[in-house]
Parts: sequence; C-alpha cells; structure tokens
Amino acid sequence: MAARGHGAPARWAAVGLLVAVLVALPSLVAALPADDADVPAAELRAAVLASADVGFSGYAVSAGGLALPVSERLTDVADLFSDRTLVRVWWRGPAEHRVDVVTAAGETGVHRDPGGTWTWDFESRTATRGTAASLALPTPPDLLPAALGRRLLSEAADGEVTRTRTGARRVAGRDALGLRLVPAEPAASVGRVDVWVDPASGLPLQVEVFAEGADRPALDTRFLDLDLAVPPAEVVAFAPPPDATLLTAPDTDELIADAGERAPDVELPGGLAGLPRRTFGGVPDAVGVYGRGVTLLAAAPVPGRLAGGLREALTASPDAVTDELGTRVAAGPLGLMLVEPADGPAYVLTGTVTLDALADAARRLSGVVA
Amino acid sequence: MIGVELRKLFRRPRTWATIAVLNALPVLVAVLLQLTDLAPRPGEGPPFLSAVLTNGALFPLAALAIVLPLFLPIAVAVVAGDAVAGEAQAGTLRYLLVRPAGRTRLLVAKLLAVVAFVLVTVLVVAAVGYVVGATLFEAQPTGGTSVSGTSLSQEELAGRSLLAIGYVTVSMLGVAAFGLFFSTLTDSPLAAALGALAVLVTSSLLFTLDAASPIAPYLPTRYWLAFVDLFRDPVLWRDVVRGLALQGVYVGVLLAAAWANFTTKDVTS
Repeated sequence: MAARGHGAPARWAAVGLLVAVLVALPSLVAALPADDADVPAAELRAAVLASADVGFSGYAVSAGGLALPVSERLTDVADLFSDRTLVRVWWRGPAEHRVDVVTAAGETGVHRDPGGTWTWDFESRTATRGTAASLALPTPPDLLPAALGRRLLSEAADGEVTRTRTGARRVAGRDALGLRLVPAEPAASVGRVDVWVDPASGLPLQVEVFAEGADRPALDTRFLDLDLAVPPAEVVAFAPPPDATLLTAPDTDELIADAGERAPDVELPGGLAGLPRRTFGGVPDAVGVYGRGVTLLAAAPVPGRLAGGLREALTASPDAVTDELGTRVAAGPLGLMLVEPADGPAYVLTGTVTLDALADAARRLSGVVA
Repeated sequence: MIGVELRKLFRRPRTWATIAVLNALPVLVAVLLQLTDLAPRPGEGPPFLSAVLTNGALFPLAALAIVLPLFLPIAVAVVAGDAVAGEAQAGTLRYLLVRPAGRTRLLVAKLLAVVAFVLVTVLVVAAVGYVVGATLFEAQPTGGTSVSGTSLSQEELAGRSLLAIGYVTVSMLGVAAFGLFFSTLTDSPLAAALGALAVLVTSSLLFTLDAASPIAPYLPTRYWLAFVDLFRDPVLWRDVVRGLALQGVYVGVLLAAAWANFTTKDVTS
C-alpha cells in the first residue's frame, strides 16, 4: 500500500490545473475582441433598413425587466416584456417566415405565409389560422432583434441616430457594429437604444432599450445563433397535423371596428404631450396613436367594467401615483395611466413616455372630453 | 474486472428493487391519467404528459420526464455513492485492491458499472412506459406529431426516442461522477449519496433563480430537459450538444479528482 500523500500533491496539482483551464476557458473566449470596421453610422443605418428581405435562420433570446401591472388580461404580453423568451426563427421574407417560441416542455410556432398566419400550440394541440392585422398586440416575432431594430431605426429622425458609432461587440459569433439612437422628444422615457448590426447583411443582431438614466437595459433581445442562408420553404410552411384542433383566430380588424362603433363618440386631439397623432388604416377614431419610433403613446376609451379592474391592478403597484387626473404607473420606460374624468368615458393611456407626459396628456384629454 | 463489477451490481436484489420502484411512479401516473382523463394544463406538469392522452406512443418519453428530475438521480446517487464507500464499509475494499489490477482500473470499472445501471434503468423505464402507453392509451400506428406540429413517421419517432434515451443516460453521468468522487472521500456510502444529492438539489435550486443566471450554463442539471429539443422539427441541437459537453466536463474533472484522491489514499478497511 502506498503511504498516504505519496505523489498526492502532484496529482492534485494536475487536477487543479485542469479545473482552472476549464473555468477560465469561457471567459477567455468571451474576452476575444470584436473587429470594428470603418462603416459610417448613416451607411450602417441604411443597410439595416434594406435588410427586410435578407433570409436567415437563428435562435434568439429576448429578456425584459418590465413588470407590467396588467397581469390578468394580457398575460401573454406581460410575459413577453418581463421574462426571458427563447425563439427560433426561419426568415424568408416579411410575408414568409416562421417564429417558434421555445419553452422547456413545448413550443408555440407562428408560421406566416402570404395569406395569413398559422399558430401552432403544442401543449394544447391547437392550430389557429389568422390574418395579418393592421393593429395588434406585440407578439414574439416583433421582439426579434432583426425586426425590432429595423422598426426602431426606420422611424427615427436623422438627428436621433448619433453620428459617431458605438464600437463593436461579438453577438452570435459575429462582429456586430453599434448604432445608438437617442430619442429627441422631451416626452420620451427611453434614454437610448443600442442596435448592434452585422455589417455584411445589415441585420440587427442585438437591440438594447435603456430607460432614461438606467444602466441596465429594460429590454435586451439578441441572437444566440445565426445562419445567413435562406431557409428552405418546407421548414417555414405549415400543415396542421391530423390530431390537432383547428381554430380560426378572431378577425382583429373586425374587433377593432366593433370597438370603434361601441366607443363613445369623441374627438381625440391632434396632438398629446407634444407628440403628433398618426393614422393607421382600420383604426377607429376613438383610438389615438401618437408619436413615432421609440416614443409612442396610445389613447383608447375603456368601458366602465374594464376600468374598475384596471384601476385595481394599477393601484396595487407600490409606485402608482393617484391624483385628480387618474392613476398612473411606470414599468421601466413604459408608462400606463387610467384617466377617469368626472363626466365622460374613462381613457387608458399607455406608451414609452414619462409620467409627466402622461399627466400632461391626461389634462388635455380631460379638457377635450369635458 | 468490469465484468466482475457488472455481475456484482446486477446480482444484487436491491438493484432490481430500485429499478422496480422507479417504474412504479410513471405507471401510477398513467393509471391516474387514464382513470380521470385530466391532462395537465399547458405549461404545467412534465413534458409530453398532456400529449399522451391522444398518442400513447409518447408515454415512454413522458415516463422519462417524470423520473428525470428527482427519482432517477436519487437512484444514480445511491448506486454511485455505494461504489467505493460500500466496499470500504463492508471491509472488502482492501481485498479488491490486493488484485494486481490497480486502483485506476477499479475506479473506471466502478464508473462503467454505474453507467450500465443508468442505461438499464432508463431502458426499463422506457420499455415499461411503452407497454403501459400502448395498453392504457390509444397509440397511433402512423407515428406521431413533433413538438413543432409536423408529422413524424414511426421510424423517426423510434429513432428520436432512442436518441432521447441515450441523452438521458448521459445526463445522469454528472450525478454518477459526483457520487463516485464522494465515495472515494468517505467510508460511508450514505454520506457519499447524500453529498451527490446535495449537489443536485443546489443545482436545481440555482437553476430556478434569476440571480444565478450567469452561472446557469455550468449547472449539472441545466440541460437535462433538452431531450425535449430532439422532438422539435428541425431538431434543436444547441442545448443537446451543450448538455453532452457539460456532462463530459463534469465526468472528466470528477474522475480526475477521484483518481487523485483514491490512488494516493491509505486504504485501511
């Protein structure tokens, strides 16, 4: 029998060295510097705007730190902005793509084709056919770095994208160049948006949205894997499996039109909180959308029974501010306010604007409604 | 030496008793599911369980998903923890080492015996799951539906099920290596098994904690559920590959530590 300790230090040293190498390896790989290329910001932005037809497939993660105070009615939207969402994407074009939200025990896939969308839910075994709507709640495809970065940059004014670029970093194994967008409107609650772009394809690889004065992003969406080849059509297409329950999604445009008919006959002002009103086809007059890019404000009348539930949800938040104008609360850069004038219908205001801007808009609305 | 260890392990009644107990839970779940017809709500319950009501051919996977988080690793920790410490406690370790085979070979033989135990256990759970699924539920002869909603032929389903069985087996190697390492540290098999379980509980707990997300990719339980990814279409290999690599690293490091400790240890019992 070997005496205890004979040769032990050498053997343990070898094991220690092995562990040290293995522990250090990931941080060494992460510390590899990214190559910055000499591409002017304007040129990079133009490349992003032209990238809608670039085919790719990949795996992306979006992480939001927003606790929306609307947990009961809009759980899907609330989860989207407060949780980590993992998505797989196959993109052949704006009207032909597939986006799967991957969860530990299932997945929800949205297959877009020129005629509409198929939404497959594995756990409930349903396939839902829907049509593309002009106005819809945010869904996981909207949070893909490529889609979100393009949308935010497309509506930004020239002066809002900073002239100097913000360096480079490695995203999904590629060298991505940084673009910074700083909203110009005084009402804006978003401090800045950093978009990291693959210079060759113009695809945004990562988008970080920072609230005013925050050093951690309120929303961070990025690719983990990216393959710049057009995915085959059969991967994107969808045929409902034989044992699935087939459903038809409610027609969003019809729902909105219905809501518009039932909504009180009010004229919304042409501007709120210093933001001009914008028009969408199919949106009723009672619903107003203001602003552009990352600074958006929506105003919509709410029926009395909904207003009660919303007021409860809002006041449950410890940060809620209640005064004669109504109740308002901010979740990161996102503001939400319930305006309840003494006479006339209640309004809900929501958007990426400051609480002061919400109060300003409420004053204007109350005046109009009265 | 490996043959000796395998015979020793599989001749023990308690090995088979452990495997039988492991099968009892999925069978109970299947019977309850069949009697009540109440599938878990989406987002709750083990993967594939809600799909079993429409396709019994998926029950082997549901059975694996049921035992994977707790039952299976406990069994592996007990068997691995017993590997060296059990011999020490019974006073047979020094006789084993009198053989000219050497301590390193004994360690490797013990690890392979544990791996064989895991493989047999997983195969039995899947086989019993298949029989239970085919008898209690309606099995679809045409194959099945992938998680992504595409159709899988029977061959594809069987092939992917085999891959999943292999993946679950590899996933248990980390626990086995922890058990084996602790087993060389102590003469008490109970302490070794509890040590491996403590690692397991710590890892599962940290995985649920958002604050621990920077270290999540290094937790031994992080990629266990990635076998579900084998049933997406196209297969999502990312987590499966990472899971395999991570288990490989744990086995390599812990086996090296067990070797460093055991080959220089003063064996007195």
